[in-house]
Amino acid sequence: MPKLRGGLAAVAFVCLVANAHGQSADPMAVGRQMLAEDNPGELWVERGKMLFYQKRGPKNTSLETCDFGLGPGKLEGAYAQLPRYFADTDKVQDVESRLVTCMVNLQGFTYQQAIKDHFGTLDRMSDIEGLVAFIASRSNGMTMNVPLIHQKEYDTYKAGEYIFYRRNGPTDFACITCHGDDNKRIRLQDLPNMTDRKQIQAVAASWPAYLGTKSTVLTMQNRLYECIWQMRLPDLGYLSDMSVALTSYLNRQGNGAVIQAPGVKR
Amino acid sequence: MRKAWLAWTTVVAPVLVAAGCASYPDEATTRQTTEKMVGEAYSGVSPALRKRAVQDRSQQICSKIGNAKLTQQEAAEVAKLARASITYPASGKLVGDWKAGAKLAYSGAGQRIRGGKLEKAKENGALCSNCHVLDPKEVNAGNLGPSLTGFGAQRGNSEAAVKYTYEKIYNAWAYSPCSNMPRLGSSGHLTPEQISHVVAYLIDPASPVNKK
Repeated sequence: MPKLRGGLAAVAFVCLVANAHGQSADPMAVGRQMLAEDNPGELWVERGKMLFYQKRGPKNTSLETCDFGLGPGKLEGAYAQLPRYFADTDKVQDVESRLVTCMVNLQGFTYQQAIKDHFGTLDRMSDIEGLVAFIASRSNGMTMNVPLIHQKEYDTYKAGEYIFYRRNGPTDFACITCHGDDNKRIRLQDLPNMTDRKQIQAVAASWPAYLGTKSTVLTMQNRLYECIWQMRLPDLGYLSDMSVALTSYLNRQGNGAVIQAPGVKR
Repeated sequence: MRKAWLAWTTVVAPVLVAAGCASYPDEATTRQTTEKMVGEAYSGVSPALRKRAVQDRSQQICSKIGNAKLTQQEAAEVAKLARASITYPASGKLVGDWKAGAKLAYSGAGQRIRGGKLEKAKENGALCSNCHVLDPKEVNAGNLGPSLTGFGAQRGNSEAAVKYTYEKIYNAWAYSPCSNMPRLGSSGHLTPEQISHVVAYLIDPASPVNKK
């Protein structure tokens, strides 16, 4: 598997280099298009599907009865309505924190076991990234529809909005600093304008995503971690409330988008 | 019109809450709970690094939801704090070595944290090319900020131009409160000497920035 992915990475790299000299308004567009036609993220979906139905953990149970918000075992369309409030945990949860809840409650993993190696590397696919890719893909073709019903959903959404505009750290950055205008780039990296309905919808609809530069699927938690890293802030806690709040805000803004996950990115 | 709407919502919102309908929390509540949330998100790292996520007064002012406009008073406060933060190289020389500045301008290194550990870098980069075009021959440059190609050719190298350039890099908010540009000197990301090199890279007629 690492060999195959190494090959894909090489292809992606060639595309990127070829296009860096292209001088178009969006120098990466062709490379992305080439990747999207043959989505390497499907490998993660397949592996996630296998892991989902496999009996695992101390309780030797599959995840088939995990409730992602639409009832135990109902995956179709569940991701389209996440993050949302769950009564059993009394928390708003995104797909990842919910998945870990099920790994702990249904499969008997300890929390630490469940979140171990949550971010994959070039040499090691992460179980969570595979599972999230699979779960998200079960909402493909459906419309993002993150609910605002429970008080905690309102609270979480507003917290996400607050964080989106909150400037901090040695660079004085907030999310809005880089994601508040059209057609902006950090070096050659395109930055979606997340205050624009269409662009935020495109973002919400395409995570988790396969990243050519990393040769792996990244979940939203992982993507946010990388943003925060680049902002020179400390490591963003995995499954932290802050991470979930930002995702609530972004996905809710993306309501109406047709989900196509995993997406393919530079 | 807007006032009437506000009055209406302030009357109706509590009624809805009382009736058990969920609604958006007020600003003060959101601030309080979210600040706590941000603190907890970084609980895995040392207090020294965690401090980075704590806002100073200017950052607080500059964090308006929806990028709402600053009041005149707020803008004045941010500019005043920025101005007070600026220090100059001990040598008094605001224009350093443009070649050293070139290296700094294209470096995005420094200060990043992974796994609780601070990035090992010889020196912090000035991060310029992340957001600005500088040398017109260099393709790999961002566009979050305006192009700085020809910066010195346009402005000249008068004492006033040099001072403005130095101070703008040291703390951009002295000139444009809450602009997107990091306060590179005030935050300690760059030393006064490093900034003087970047000034030279922008101003010096021999610098690629000012070559056609």
